[in-house]
Amino acid sequence: MAANRHGEMGRRTALGLGAGALASGALPRRAGAQGRMAPITIVINQSPWLDSFQRTVQLYERETGAKVDLDVNPFAGSLEKQRNSVRARQGTTDLLIMNSGWFAEMYFGGFVRPITDIDPGFRLEREVYTLGDTIFFDAEKKTMTPQGKLMSIPISPLIPLTYYRGDLYRENGIQGAPRTFAQLESNARKLHRPPRMYGIVQRGARGPHTVAYDFYPYLYGHGGSIFRNQAENDYTVTLNAPEGRTALDYYIRLAKEAGHPRTAALDQAEVIQAIVTGRGAHMITVVAAWSQMDDPQRSAVVDKIEWAPPPSIEGRPTAPGLGHWLAGVSRNVPDDRQRAAAAFLAWFQTPAAQIATAKLGGIPINAAAYRDPIAEERRFRWMKPLAEALPHAVNIYQFPEASEVIAVLELGLNRAIAGEITSVAALNDMSSQIAEIMAKNGYRTGKLEPLR
Amino acid sequence: MRRWRHESGLQLALLLGGLLIAAPFAWVVAAGFRTQISLLMGEVWFTPTLSAFEEVLFSKTSDFLLNVRNSTLIGLASTAIALAAATFGAWSLHRMRWPRWWVHALLLWALVLQMIPPVALAGGWFVMARAVGLDNTLMGLILAHATLNLPMALWMMGVFVRDVPQELVEAARLDGASTPTLLWRVVLPLVAPGLAAAGVLCFVFSWNEFAAALNLSMRQTATVPVAIAKFAQDFEIRYVQMAAAASLSAVPALLLLLVAQRWIVKGLTLGAVK
Amino acid sequence: MGGLGLLPVLNLVALGFFDVRWAEGQSTWSFVGTTHYAALTRDPLFGAAILNTVVFALGAVTGQMILGFALALLCSKATRGRVFWRAVFVLPVLIPGIVIGAMWKLLLNPEFGALAQLFELAGLTPVDWLGEPSTALFAVIMVDVWHWTPFCFLLFLAGLESLPRDVYEAATVDGASAWQELTRITLPLMWPTIAVTFVFRLVLAFKVFDEVYLLTGGGPGTATEVVSFTIYQRFFTEDRAGYGAAMAVAVIFLIFLMLAAAAAARRRVQA
Repeated sequence: MAANRHGEMGRRTALGLGAGALASGALPRRAGAQGRMAPITIVINQSPWLDSFQRTVQLYERETGAKVDLDVNPFAGSLEKQRNSVRARQGTTDLLIMNSGWFAEMYFGGFVRPITDIDPGFRLEREVYTLGDTIFFDAEKKTMTPQGKLMSIPISPLIPLTYYRGDLYRENGIQGAPRTFAQLESNARKLHRPPRMYGIVQRGARGPHTVAYDFYPYLYGHGGSIFRNQAENDYTVTLNAPEGRTALDYYIRLAKEAGHPRTAALDQAEVIQAIVTGRGAHMITVVAAWSQMDDPQRSAVVDKIEWAPPPSIEGRPTAPGLGHWLAGVSRNVPDDRQRAAAAFLAWFQTPAAQIATAKLGGIPINAAAYRDPIAEERRFRWMKPLAEALPHAVNIYQFPEASEVIAVLELGLNRAIAGEITSVAALNDMSSQIAEIMAKNGYRTGKLEPLR
Repeated sequence: MRRWRHESGLQLALLLGGLLIAAPFAWVVAAGFRTQISLLMGEVWFTPTLSAFEEVLFSKTSDFLLNVRNSTLIGLASTAIALAAATFGAWSLHRMRWPRWWVHALLLWALVLQMIPPVALAGGWFVMARAVGLDNTLMGLILAHATLNLPMALWMMGVFVRDVPQELVEAARLDGASTPTLLWRVVLPLVAPGLAAAGVLCFVFSWNEFAAALNLSMRQTATVPVAIAKFAQDFEIRYVQMAAAASLSAVPALLLLLVAQRWIVKGLTLGAVK
Repeated sequence: MGGLGLLPVLNLVALGFFDVRWAEGQSTWSFVGTTHYAALTRDPLFGAAILNTVVFALGAVTGQMILGFALALLCSKATRGRVFWRAVFVLPVLIPGIVIGAMWKLLLNPEFGALAQLFELAGLTPVDWLGEPSTALFAVIMVDVWHWTPFCFLLFLAGLESLPRDVYEAATVDGASAWQELTRITLPLMWPTIAVTFVFRLVLAFKVFDEVYLLTGGGPGTATEVVSFTIYQRFFTEDRAGYGAAMAVAVIFLIFLMLAAAAAARRRVQA
């Protein structure tokens, strides 16, 4: 049975390679050189999708005879590892798996070499998600738009989705998925039975990128934003606009009246813990946690969770903040290794490779994979909501100093949620601190009238 | 009779202390035999399973046995280097006629080094290791851990070296012993208990060190704490696998401590009176 | 090895006066004088971190010393099972800090942690030790006490076993009570060991990182922010190497002040 599936996968992937070759025209040369392809090292972090990625890599090795080594790190250590490597005279890792929190640093710092500089024949597959155009970078204008060069290929298109208890919805006669903030709030209130069941569990703790990341779908779903227009280099701080206030007040109200009493101390792992132990009716969390939900060793809510795109206000699209992973080729490694890394990316982006990834438990980056019959299977029921939400994904930061801004948001939001300060005071305070950081780093910025 | 009651009171107090210390430890070990969901649901009774141990030891994504080997080699080698350097250093500092200020400056330096959070040193070490081709080698980590533990070893060995009776040294000199012979034949046997004590502490510290190991190692050279930290993920802290790995990792250190206990206590004993 | 210890430290001190930026794969260092040190005084995290770390270090080390001393005293007086107890009491020091953090996070969880279960058995309301700003630092201190008491225990036990027997025999003959024996003989004789252990542990406690990292991440709010963690965030997460370095240097200076104060206090006590 297993062998059968592998055989089928191999055939399909081979087909995909053929199609890719037709599209790029450069592939035959590359394929011919594969016997002599330099081995590459990929620096990556431990995650729920690592196992599927690893097996996808093994598939690549089997098909092409290339040699790929994975340097797996704890989540916390991956960035330090990559900085160490790219800043040295010669790097230790060829392919960097970069998180949404730090890829801008790698682009701006010139550490990642454009893929099309390495292989001028490289063609981006048509249906690969460009994820807020974060795979492109214009080094002159310092913007991320398709006019820039191709810098990376997505590895995991992570965004938050709404997880909700389908079984409880049925028992309580609630129709349909929670698509608007009004629906989410009324459904959460209906299912709120503390301390056995919380209407919603939110991730309000201060961390490296914790409460801020949890807040983005609320902020952008309400039509708010942190900056006026990053693509145009307009960094006027708009966090304390009325939309921002509505969003934060909503978030806090939900936490207080239909949420977890410890919201201000909950980290992502604890939010998910609350859901898998059956103590929460909703959470808005990165799609990658899906694999925990149906695993009987790790979950008490097997087959009970359903997915939907994050809510928005009536008339606005869903607006999930990107928490994705991109693969870029390190500048400071030998040419043959750079070419080998680019060849891997060329293969990885194909529909065939992505369908294979999905079957191995990964989250595909090519829209074609979401039309594959597997998207109809019960265990892959997160695929359709994800495909629906992905085109609306928002890239929150397009500049390398984002971590300083995030630190401000983490403290300010956490204090507001803990009730130490009012939402208005928090928003005004964070806004002026962010404007200060932007001005210090030489960006065109400004402030709105403080909220009152 | 009074003596007996005295003893049983003592044993009772020891039992209480032992419980406070051992109960969480026992709980950690037990957690390794559970499933994640049983642990999270707070089930008091559970059916033991070996799945966490199997995953830690034999799963494809785990290199635990390799990690144990690395940690062992790094621990032993870095301890040996730190001890050798500390013994010679201590001898030189306390027995040769260096100016007082120089001795104090060096000891103070050792203390400063001990104070710096390793996270702040790791970046600089990586650059140095890379420059001489020692990154991603066990040697790089061995040197790093030896450096981290040297101040502690130097302080401890200093106490023992100062204890070596001056008359013995002079007698050996009169017999025409060279400095190496003197150190090997006379000093070393006298400071052996100190070596044991400092050695075990160095080993245990190296065995558990995380920040430097994370920055200076890659997959082939990763140590046990780095491997264990991989179970603390963004989406899920894999408590049961972590517990299983932690229980396994405590075994070598525990064995060492049990075997070497007699010497450690003796070593510390001699050192502590000074 | 001198180089391994010396160069990064010099590098750290130098970094503290610079801003480092990366572009085109090259770093540029720009001299900023004492700007970083001035900024330290206005950093809300640093202020909280210093205060918390001092409370943490003093609280934890005091706790460990007292407990470690008591256990060592008991163990040295016991006639049976010394080897056994010694093995039991050193267990926690064998567990990596990173695991200690994860495990206590679970033990202290108010919903399904072992401690909460004990509280419920006793008919008490479970406390959210790590989530409440008022108890979080205390909880972290307790975890550290659990982790490092064995270290103090080992050093103290060694010290106690080396004390000269004849003094005690003389005291027994003189009819001294156990308390008198402790305060008049044991403590004064143990003073050097106590001082060494104190300095050792204090220096290590100031570096606490692994445990806090997983236990609380510095929160809630800034309740458990400690200096190592702040340095880590500023230095690595935010990539402000210059500022982070200045912070590390300032912390070293502060520890020095504390040790000097302790030494001065001790001299006064002896005089």
